[in-house]
Amino acid sequence: MNCVRKLLLARELSAGRGILRQAAPGRDLPWLQESSCAQGFWPVPVRSIRSGAALSRSDLVPSARGDKEKDRGSRDGALVPFDELFERACKEDRNKASFSRAVELFCQRDIRRRGHIEFINAALRKMPEFGVERELDVYNKILDVFPKEVFVPRNFIQRMFNYYPRQQECGIHVLEQMENYGIMPNKQTKFLLLQIFGEKSHPVRKYQRLMYWFPKFKHANPYPVPAALPQDPVDLARFSLQRIAADLSAKVTVYQMPLTDILDDGKEITQPHIVGIQSPDQQELLACHNPARPVFVEGPFPLWLKKTCVYYYVLRGEPLPPEEKEEVIDSERNFYYPMQLDLDLDRDLWDNEEFYVDEVEEGPIFAMCMAGAGDQATLAKWILGLQQTNPILSQTPVVFHLTPGPRELQVDLDSESGEEEIPQSWHAKQEL
Amino acid sequence: MSGLSLLLRVARAAFPPGARQLRTGGLRSAYAKELFLGKLRKEEVFPYPEISNEELEEINQFVGPVEKFFSEEVDSTKIDQDAKIPPETLKGLKSLGLFGMQVPEEYGGLGLSNTMYARLGEIISLDGSIAVTLAAHQAIGLKGILMAGTDEQKAKYLPKLASGEHIAAFCLTEPGSGSDAASIQSRATMSEDGKSFLLNGSKIWISNGGLADIFTVFARTEVVDKDGAKKDKISAFIVERAFGGVTNGKPEDKLGIRGSNTCEVHFENTKVPVENVIGEVGGGFKVAMNILNSGRFSMGSASAGMIKKLIEMTAEYACTRKQFNKKLSDFGLIQEKFTLMAVKAYVMESMAYLTAGMMDRPGVPDCSVEAAMVKVFSSEGAWICVSEALQVLGGLGYMKDYPYERYLRDSRILLIFEGTNEILRMYIALTGMQYAGKILTGKIKEMKKGNVSVALEIFVNKFRDSMGRKVDLGLVGKDGVVHPSLEESSKKLEENIYYFGTTVEGLLRRFGKTIVDEQLVLKRVADVSINLYAMTAAISRASRSICIGLRNHDHET
Repeated sequence: MNCVRKLLLARELSAGRGILRQAAPGRDLPWLQESSCAQGFWPVPVRSIRSGAALSRSDLVPSARGDKEKDRGSRDGALVPFDELFERACKEDRNKASFSRAVELFCQRDIRRRGHIEFINAALRKMPEFGVERELDVYNKILDVFPKEVFVPRNFIQRMFNYYPRQQECGIHVLEQMENYGIMPNKQTKFLLLQIFGEKSHPVRKYQRLMYWFPKFKHANPYPVPAALPQDPVDLARFSLQRIAADLSAKVTVYQMPLTDILDDGKEITQPHIVGIQSPDQQELLACHNPARPVFVEGPFPLWLKKTCVYYYVLRGEPLPPEEKEEVIDSERNFYYPMQLDLDLDRDLWDNEEFYVDEVEEGPIFAMCMAGAGDQATLAKWILGLQQTNPILSQTPVVFHLTPGPRELQVDLDSESGEEEIPQSWHAKQEL
Repeated sequence: MSGLSLLLRVARAAFPPGARQLRTGGLRSAYAKELFLGKLRKEEVFPYPEISNEELEEINQFVGPVEKFFSEEVDSTKIDQDAKIPPETLKGLKSLGLFGMQVPEEYGGLGLSNTMYARLGEIISLDGSIAVTLAAHQAIGLKGILMAGTDEQKAKYLPKLASGEHIAAFCLTEPGSGSDAASIQSRATMSEDGKSFLLNGSKIWISNGGLADIFTVFARTEVVDKDGAKKDKISAFIVERAFGGVTNGKPEDKLGIRGSNTCEVHFENTKVPVENVIGEVGGGFKVAMNILNSGRFSMGSASAGMIKKLIEMTAEYACTRKQFNKKLSDFGLIQEKFTLMAVKAYVMESMAYLTAGMMDRPGVPDCSVEAAMVKVFSSEGAWICVSEALQVLGGLGYMKDYPYERYLRDSRILLIFEGTNEILRMYIALTGMQYAGKILTGKIKEMKKGNVSVALEIFVNKFRDSMGRKVDLGLVGKDGVVHPSLEESSKKLEENIYYFGTTVEGLLRRFGKTIVDEQLVLKRVADVSINLYAMTAAISRASRSICIGLRNHDHET
């Protein structure tokens, strides 16, 4: 019963094969020989669909296409390159709806879904263009393009050998792209894969692996970056500063809002934003700082939030000299119990749980800020703002150590940025 | 009432004070510290300390009237509701002499020994607020003068304090300073003529702060070091309210012990004469530590007294209430609760009197570790017992119309004041570790250096332990000090002490002096040692009762 059905199905699918074969017989043959050992059981009907797929994908096909075929192509639109299909579908704009339309167009065109592998590959390539690379239902729609039940192995020998390897590979490609974009498959994906490839096929295995690892990794990052970053530079700065500071008690202060104003004399004035952060601990540290020693404003340092790069500046002091660092615990410190034992014994080696850390001496960081511009005048305003909460800053010399900015990222945008000049535009540059 | 106190004084005078005046001799390291070495100093705890017949008679004369006073004239419910001890009750307490229980007779106090003090504490604790008021007055408030004061200071202040004419308070805690001496902000500056200090600062949560006339205050003073450097150090002062500049806030509203007066006390340019420094200038830290360490032991008997009263009340209920035609007391689960309460009370009592007895012995015994153990054990035991008692009472215990919930509220403070239990655990463990470490350092160092014979000795010991060694620290058997019927328990105790010793040694070997930072380990060490001490006390007391054939001695095992 099974065999008869299979035969019928295969014949149906192979209907279109003859034409293609005629069109490019030279390319077809090596394919046949190469894989005949693997597909020996149903040689003819099985081969038919595969050769069709192989041909239409190759670069040679369009040029080698015969007249007859062209006629056919124009008649039912079967062999237009698939990229065109997408171009056609998106006349107005590229979005999810137009992408779905293209997929539907392909599905309606031909009951046998000829060339579905090529179409799927093209669709996967086109996804970012249409902005649907993170849509689960679009992936499911793409998987739905595969003809159902044809590629399900029906006996142990088929199961033993790689049944329809290119289709399986293509299915894996779809799942892989989902994986790369961090899309978790759902029940429908599973259902489709089972329908297309059957149990224990490679794509289903891939699906199972995804479902094993994804939930484990999903919440692995304790500090997730939200999918959509704030657009407003001040909000973005606030968010990123809180992220770096990693201190819930740290307080963000907006020292200056961004402002563009035209003066009376027609001169345009732009006021960059300045957003700073300081925690109570840092305030205390700064209060204990010896005003005779200078503090430094350093930067810019990059911070990547997904694909956005922002730059920040720090106010830091020199590393403390060793004589000021040690805090001696007074023996008369605790009314209730001794804080130190008067013993000549150290910790055993086996109980030393400290890792070996190569410690680099660093000075304390007193505050951080992000600004719309990296010039000294702007940062001086920040320091001025800090003086209100940290009076000691007004007595402490502040040295500006500003590097001219990230040059390697600068090249294409602003090739002639000089040493002195710090461009205004790179404070929150969007890549891509 | 004054006639009664006169009677008491006469009774005191009738007995020669010689019995308790024999307190001389060197400082002995006490029993608990030896536990950390895995040793049992049986001569310290066996036999269980007894008091002489005269003392017994004397204490019984005190106990009677005090008990009568508490049962007849103290209305605890009213004290709790009004958050105030009525003046007539205070007057009664004063006339009983309860404000000067440990003040020597020459200064007008009762001059009780620690044991007798503990016995009276058992009764006083029937009302939490009164107990705390009295404790704040004499266990810490005037202790400074008593322990470290000069004769002039004693003569000037103690008589009035002992009679209760003046009430004392102990001012250490500040808004920013609990147990950290470095964050004390109050400051005393020497006046130009060098005759007095100007005291400034504020203290919080001062028991008796609103009632007191005499304060023991701790403040920073500038002290010139030996090498000429100026340094801030803590000094202790006796401050009279009459010195001026002393104000106090309104009494705090508390969960329990509501009748006791707790409030803020502020000192503003209070002029304190130089003669009122307790100890020496800059020596306040030691004074504070000694006061805190000495005030704790009585809490054991106090909790035991409270629980015994509670058992009495609960048992009455359990024996009358019937469910399913059965008395509550016939149910196994209820009986289990009573057993727990009785055992806890017994152990608390044993620990408290054992410690008091040790402190009463001639010499200057250092029993601060034992006292801390008693405090931790009894405060936690009291909390558990009260909670169990409430469980027996069911819904009744939860109602404000009945006195039971007040016991629960009152007993909660026991875990917190006079050093929280966590802090005291650190004290117990670290003091013991320090003692053991001093002695074991040599041995451990030898072994770490690779001394074969020491290492071999340790290995052989370990091997014998694992083969199931018999530990014999000499409690039973020939020359044994425990009654043979307690052999099983004392064997267990010996074994536990031995293994505790090996554990401590192992910990010292592993952590050395960095054990200070291993608080979780220290907590367990403290718990073990507290339980060991509790076992010792219980066995010692039970053995004594069996030996002298007390009534019901078979109930004690």
